[in-house]
Amino acid sequence: MKKLIILAFALFIMAPVSWAQTQTAVTYSMGFGTGDLGDFVEKPSFRGIAIDYRKMVQPNIGVGFTLGWNVFYEEKSYATYTVDNSSLSGKQYRYSNQFPLLLAGNYYLKPGESLNPYVGLGVGTMYTLRNTDMNLYTLEQDAWHFSVTPEIGLQYSIDDSTGLLVGLKYVNGFKAGDFDAGQNYLSLNVGLVFHK
Amino acid sequence: MLRKLNLFLVIAALCGMMWSCYPAGPDYAEDLDVVFTSFDEEYDFKSKSTYALPDKIVTDVEIDNGDTTYVFMKDAFAQPILQAIERNMTANGWTKITPTPVNRPDIVVTPAALSSTTYFYSYWYDWWYGYGGWYGGYWGWYYPPYYTVSSYTTGSLIITMADPKVESPIRRSPATWVAVANGLYVGTYDVNRINTAIDQAFAQSPYLNTK
Repeated sequence: MKKLIILAFALFIMAPVSWAQTQTAVTYSMGFGTGDLGDFVEKPSFRGIAIDYRKMVQPNIGVGFTLGWNVFYEEKSYATYTVDNSSLSGKQYRYSNQFPLLLAGNYYLKPGESLNPYVGLGVGTMYTLRNTDMNLYTLEQDAWHFSVTPEIGLQYSIDDSTGLLVGLKYVNGFKAGDFDAGQNYLSLNVGLVFHK
Repeated sequence: MLRKLNLFLVIAALCGMMWSCYPAGPDYAEDLDVVFTSFDEEYDFKSKSTYALPDKIVTDVEIDNGDTTYVFMKDAFAQPILQAIERNMTANGWTKITPTPVNRPDIVVTPAALSSTTYFYSYWYDWWYGYGGWYGGYWGWYYPPYYTVSSYTTGSLIITMADPKVESPIRRSPATWVAVANGLYVGTYDVNRINTAIDQAFAQSPYLNTK
């Protein structure tokens, strides 16, 4: 994995000046928790943003970074939680904030055409901040995960400088910090892409 | 330039949306009510059947020169609580008795109620100058709304069960069951919240059922 990060970083640094084209996608991001995150917050997240910057090193290859923020939230109904001989009943308010910070590369299948599908891979870190609120107290857990995030998507060019983008990422944060399991979710991103 | 502006506008709009849409949490004070129970796993509740319950609820203990005085809750508030405990005990198969030296109950149930106030105060006197200070048509500094002191009060109802026949070196009986109901005090006495909490304490303690 380290090799991949170094490779992605090297590509980013060594991007030839002649291909100085860049694109920045700003998307609204919906999240669907899976695994441990999906158990913690069963409801999908409709609060999210992602920024994807890519520098075109080849007409069909772009490297750059991905920044994101997804807020998962669920108000649990009144329930009893039992551990050994103790039980606690109440309403829980669960929050999980995911912040992926990735070096990423995209491979475009039909560069120059108005409908341009792509596949991508991001490697880096994801910060998770989880709060479980009950009564006037909160249990806070956090972690910096190692993250590998594959992506597929489609760009549609409106004109030379702007386009629409639909992408699907599987944000994969490996087990770390206060968590006994990885924090993973699918994110569906819809937004605008600006070429320069 | 326009393109750059578009990009920043889109980012700003999305960031603003994220900020304003951040989930707000509880809406009502009741949403913060919790009930905690814990019991002695070694204790055999099934083999017991009688209990004693005082007719007053302690809200404070005053110690003055070594003399201990209990402060009791007003009857108007205490009676519904005692009745709710009694109702639940009966439903679980227990019989209330008046304790005498020869007729000792299997279990003594002791309710207590406490309140606690937490104060916050801010060291910051929040005035600001300059940026963003376009107010009332001119630049300058102004007073923002400030809340330097605030507080909240929580109330706890603690119900303890102890077996007076269990001896201990300190001549006190260890608690076999403890229930703590805690909620935010909102200035009005709501007997429903307390009843719900007491019912919940028994509901989540099925081992108390002697039937």
